[in-house]
Amino acid sequence: MGRKKKKQSRPWCWYCNREFDDEKILIQHQKAKHFKCHICHKKLYTGPGLSIHCMQVHKEAIDKVPNSLPNRSNIEIEIYGMEGIPPNDAKEHERQRNGGRPGSPSSGEDEPAPKKSKPEGLLGSAPGAVPTGSSMMTGVMPGLSAHHGMPPHMGQFPPHMHQMMGPMGPVGPPFMGPGMMQGMPGMPPGMQPPVSGASMPSRPLFPSVVSTATSSTPGSLPLGADFKPITSIAGGSIGPMKPTFPAYGGGDNAASLQSNSTNDQKVSLIATTGAASKIIHPQEDLSLEEIRARLPKYQRRQTEDTRPTQAETSQHVAALQHQHQQQQQQHQQQQHQQHQHQQHVAAAASAAAAYQDQQQRQQAALSALQQQQQRFQRPPQTVMVPASAAMPVSSVALMAPLMRPTMTLAAPALIHGGNMMRPPPMGLPPGKCPMTLSPGPLPPCRRPFSIFQSPCQPWPHPSERRESRETELKIQ
Amino acid sequence: MFNQAGALGGGGATVNPMKDFEVVSPPDDSVSSLAFSPATIPQNFLVAGSWDCNVRCWEVEQSGKTVPKSMQTMAGPVLDVCWSDDGTKVFMAACDKMAKCWDLGSNQCIQVAAHDAPIKTCHWIKGSNYSCLMTGSWDKTLKFWDTRSPKPLMTINLPERCYCADVDYPMAVVGTAGRGLIVYQLEGTPHEYKRIESPLKYQHRCLAIFRDKKKVPTGYALGSVEGRVAIQYVNPANPKDNFTFKCHRSNGASSGFQDIYAVNDIAFHPIHGTLATVGSDGTFSFWDKDARTKLKPSEPMEQAITRCCFNHNGQIFAYAVSYDWAKGHEFYNPMKKNHIFLRSCYDELKPRNPS
Repeated sequence: MGRKKKKQSRPWCWYCNREFDDEKILIQHQKAKHFKCHICHKKLYTGPGLSIHCMQVHKEAIDKVPNSLPNRSNIEIEIYGMEGIPPNDAKEHERQRNGGRPGSPSSGEDEPAPKKSKPEGLLGSAPGAVPTGSSMMTGVMPGLSAHHGMPPHMGQFPPHMHQMMGPMGPVGPPFMGPGMMQGMPGMPPGMQPPVSGASMPSRPLFPSVVSTATSSTPGSLPLGADFKPITSIAGGSIGPMKPTFPAYGGGDNAASLQSNSTNDQKVSLIATTGAASKIIHPQEDLSLEEIRARLPKYQRRQTEDTRPTQAETSQHVAALQHQHQQQQQQHQQQQHQQHQHQQHVAAAASAAAAYQDQQQRQQAALSALQQQQQRFQRPPQTVMVPASAAMPVSSVALMAPLMRPTMTLAAPALIHGGNMMRPPPMGLPPGKCPMTLSPGPLPPCRRPFSIFQSPCQPWPHPSERRESRETELKIQ
Repeated sequence: MFNQAGALGGGGATVNPMKDFEVVSPPDDSVSSLAFSPATIPQNFLVAGSWDCNVRCWEVEQSGKTVPKSMQTMAGPVLDVCWSDDGTKVFMAACDKMAKCWDLGSNQCIQVAAHDAPIKTCHWIKGSNYSCLMTGSWDKTLKFWDTRSPKPLMTINLPERCYCADVDYPMAVVGTAGRGLIVYQLEGTPHEYKRIESPLKYQHRCLAIFRDKKKVPTGYALGSVEGRVAIQYVNPANPKDNFTFKCHRSNGASSGFQDIYAVNDIAFHPIHGTLATVGSDGTFSFWDKDARTKLKPSEPMEQAITRCCFNHNGQIFAYAVSYDWAKGHEFYNPMKKNHIFLRSCYDELKPRNPS
């Protein structure tokens, strides 16, 4: 969708729904995009004009206006700039502009809707209209409980999504248009899922958000009122921005909520769907990495690792007192961080993460993880053998210029090529470590960077434990 | 350089549509970061960070052959990697909120930075009077580390989470969530130079600094999730020097409906000053920003291209094909192989009108 937040009645092109600052430009656009003869590139003035031109000059019949939306391809209608637009379409367009502006996307309100439909229970129980801070909290609670009740399918990866995805691709465009907007206000909640589902393909579901959103949607009829609360809620709960800790920060939450509602522009959703285009991106305005990182698969590993870290830290207390604190802080913050992440995901997800967190502490999870790690690392190892074995010695000289003169020693390391990819056993003297690129004595390697001479490492090594563990695994 | 049609370029047409050299033993999960060794080492080493929490290092030979050299594991998915200026070390930033320094000589790893949230970017700053590691995190801070101390030399608060950054001394540019864009002056001590209203209307995703004819950093290219790149000069001689262009969009198929993909990475050619963009649509494109033309598009890959980089002398273009999460977890297929391809690119990136 073109630019947003300008005044209502900007000239727009009936054929492609695009808006322009000036009708002159619109006319130029139409001539270039819609009224240009594809054979001789002559620019005509209207659809019928183009049709007649093609018929008379090239003896070709044109049945559709080029580059037009499917439902706007009628070549018979005579449109020039804003003149000639069927009144119904004009009204509809106006309505769409008023109701959902791109910034606080019409899509925004649709999305939550689909999710709700599934958790019927949530829907029913959810509070009525919920524009305030407290509403947010209430939204959260159901999410939590719901999650515990039905962990697998309610969680972040609802199975329904798959179904939705299918139809999405092709269907996307038409839904985006005015049709959707019209439907919204009066629709009973039951009706919404299909519509919204179609337009919002890839968004992960957050039951809690959904519940609040749903409840408010059906309750309020007028469009404007309808959208506002929803977007603000969505902003509050999904809103990645505030580093608040949902679990504790009642005040923070309220604050963030308020700021969101006062500041509707800041809705944390991307208007991924325009009149004639769709942005292939999740609708939350989070980076793909943030969205991906909250997947339990990617979080587990780090929680597993941070625990040893802390333990180790405490061993170094005397020497590294302040670091210890830092570490603890870090640990705390990490927990907070998790919550924060969850907040991005909305409350329900946070519940899920907390749940995971617990689980992670269980040995079972750990061992499973280790297996995973093992799996990760094996393939490269095996594949590597031939490659590195074949490697010409000269190519090993990697660090030669920078480091020690003993570079030639690197060659022997190659013999152990199979081990190359394994993380180094930290305790071993480098000479014994098959992995080192260059087995020279440590001190020389460190020379280039004096930093590394300090015997006590800046941080207790979190990876130490894990790595040795892994090493064992691999060696067996 | 290496022979493009080489036997190594084989494989199914869809897997490797551009018939490029494939890096052996690629990561087991999506590639999150790629970096070639600096000019200070004669050979070419490529490091890649991955969502499988590992950072791998290969040597790339003149023939296009790749040799796996070593691997390090982080405690969380790796989000960024960079080299020290002398080529002896690799820095790795990860979701475990740490950045580590990997001394390639000893193959040892130590932590050199910590944040309160995953670290999205890391860049080595080689200044005239100092050298340090800059890390940008989702905890909304930018920190500078001398790698010896657990305390940062300096912490700069960002208005939002750091999404992308680039450093080319004495310039650093950071793009944040909420479409924040800040230019830093690194000379002396790093300080904010300019906050810039984003030229883009959608989430910032990638950033690359470019230099002028005298090889002085003078501006940057910023890519967004809405298939658009902005070319911005920090101090434009003429406001019209700044412009944006669309890229990584489908050609509207039959319905006239267009799919718009995220720009996942931007890299400038070190010699020609032209640039490459890679997108969620699985293509890369080469551009001449001065002539404002596209030099070359690629065929689409099987999956998105997540990152790209040039080697120090601009002979090799590396790009990583893996899932970038743009369609959510539903479209994540862990069984799909990840690829890193190497393309001999020097001639393809020559500017249109050599000037």
